[in-house]
Amino acid sequence: MKYLGWDELIPGAILFSFSEEMEKDASEILPEDRPYAETNSHEAYVGDWRVLKPVYNRDLCIDCQFCWIYCPDVSIISRDKKMIGVDYDHCKGCGICVEVCPTNPKSLLMFEERIDNDDALAQWPEKE
Amino acid sequence: MSEMKKIKNLKDFSTSADRFEGANLLCPGCAHSIIVREILNATNDPLILSAATGCLEVCTAVYPYTSWDNSWIHIGFENASTAIAGAEAMYKARKRKGKLPASCEGKSPKFVAFGGDGATYDIGFQWISGCFERGHDMMYVCLDNEVYANTGGQRSSSTPIGASTVTTPAGRVSYGEKMMKKDMLSIMAAHGAPYVAQVAPNKWKDMVKKIQKGFATEGPVFINAMSACTTEWKFAPDDTIAISDLATDSLVFPLYEIENGTKLTITYRPKNKVPVRDYLGAQGRFKHLFKPQYEYLIDEWQKMVDARWEYLQRREEASV
Ligand SMILES: Cc1ncc(C[n+]2csc(CCOP(=O)(O)OP(=O)(O)O)c2C)c(N)n1
Ligand code: SF4
Ligand code: SF4
Ligand code: SF4
Ligand SMILES: [Mg+2]
Repeated sequence: MKYLGWDELIPGAILFSFSEEMEKDASEILPEDRPYAETNSHEAYVGDWRVLKPVYNRDLCIDCQFCWIYCPDVSIISRDKKMIGVDYDHCKGCGICVEVCPTNPKSLLMFEERIDNDDALAQWPEKE
Repeated sequence: MSEMKKIKNLKDFSTSADRFEGANLLCPGCAHSIIVREILNATNDPLILSAATGCLEVCTAVYPYTSWDNSWIHIGFENASTAIAGAEAMYKARKRKGKLPASCEGKSPKFVAFGGDGATYDIGFQWISGCFERGHDMMYVCLDNEVYANTGGQRSSSTPIGASTVTTPAGRVSYGEKMMKKDMLSIMAAHGAPYVAQVAPNKWKDMVKKIQKGFATEGPVFINAMSACTTEWKFAPDDTIAISDLATDSLVFPLYEIENGTKLTITYRPKNKVPVRDYLGAQGRFKHLFKPQYEYLIDEWQKMVDARWEYLQRREEASV
C-alpha cells in the first residue's frame, strides 16, 4: 500500500479504510469479502474486554435475529437469514443478545471466558 | 432517486452488510451503536456521514483506526451539521455543473450528521438551526442520552428533571436536575422542516420506517433517537433494550413524527402502559427519588408524562 501525506490529497478526496479499491459500495460486499486496511477497526481486537462470553446453541435457535439487530458490536454473525455464531474478536460481552433471545431455554447464554464452548453446551439448562 | 431498500421483516434486515465496524471503543451495551447500525442498514445508498465530538465520534475514530466503511468527517463539537451541509451543497453544485466523477452516476448519496444531545440541544444548536433554515437535503440524528457522557456525565438541556449528574448531583439538599427536558422535536418542527421524528432502538421497525421516510424526504430531516446509556444512566450493560422498552412503554419517550411542521402522528401505542415509576426505578441516576423526601417527584413525573401524552393525542387528532 502506498501512503500519501495529507497535503498530497486532492480537495474533496474521500479516504476509505480498505487496502484496495472496491468495485461496489461496502453495503454490497459482506465483511469476509472486503479488503480491510489495517486501519479499519474490524482488524482490531476487543475480546479481552469480556468477563463473560456468550455461547451459542444452534439446536435451540429459531433464527429470529433479535440478537443480530440488538448487538451493539456487530458481533452476531448472520448469513442468509440464519444466525451462525458470535464474532469473539469484536464481542465485548455486554450480554444484550442473551437478554433478547426469546427461546426457552435460551439459545445464547453467558459463560465464563475460560470455559470451553463444548463444555458450556454440555451444561445447557433444561426448559423452565 | 434510487430504490428504497426492501426490509419486510427482521430476517430480511439481517442480510444487511454492516458499514459500521466492531472493535470501536464504545462501552459494552452502548445504545449509540445499536442506533447507528439500524440507521446505516436502512439503506444501501452511498453514505456521507459526519459526527460531532462525543462518545460516538471519540470511540469510532481512535488513531489509527476508523469504524466507518463510508465517507465520514469530524470537525468539532458544534458543527457536525454544517460539515455535512457543506458536503451536500458541494455535491449539488457539482451535479448542476456536470462535474461529478463518473463513479457517482446513478447514485443518490445520503447525507447524515450525528450528534449527542450536548452537541444538539446545546452547543451545536445554532448551526443546526441554520442548516434547517437554509433547507439542506440532509438528515440530522441526535443520539439522545440526556447527558454529556463523553466528558463524564454533566447535565445538558436534554437531562430530565430529577436526574443526578455530576453537575446536578442529588443529595441531602437537592433532588438533582431542576430543569425540564427541552422539547427539541417541537423546536425543529417549528423550523418548518418537512420531517422530524422520535425513534428508539428497541423499536427497530418503527426506526427503519422513519429513517427510510427521512431518506425519501427532500430537505432537512431531524431525528431524535433515545440512546440509553449504561454508564451514565447507571444500569447493567445487558439491560439496554429492557430499559429502552420501559422508556417507550411508560411513554416517557413517546414515538411520533411531525410532517411539514404541523401534521403529528403517533407511531407507537403501548398495549400495556407501564408506570413511570418502573422506568425511574430501573436506573441509578433516579435512585434518590425513591427516598421519602423526594418521592413526590415520581408522582409529578407521572403527571407530566400523562399530560404530554394527552397533548400529543390531541395534536394528532386535530392535525395541527
Ligand atoms: C467546543 C467544545 N466544548 C467542549 C468540548 C468537550 N467535550 C467533548 S465531548 C463532550 C460531551 C458530548 O456530549 P454529547 O454531545 O451529549 O454526546 P455523548 O458523549 O453524550 O454521546 C464535551 C463537553 C469539546 N470537544 N468542544
Ligand atoms: S455479548 Fe454483546 S457484544 Fe457480544 S455478541 Fe452479545 S450483544 Fe454482541
Ligand atoms: S435471539 Fe436467540 S433464537 Fe433469535 S436468532 Fe438469536 S440465538 Fe437464535
Ligand atoms: S458513556 Fe454511554 S453513550 Fe458513551 S460509550 Fe458509554 S454507554 Fe455509550
Ligand atoms: Mg449525550
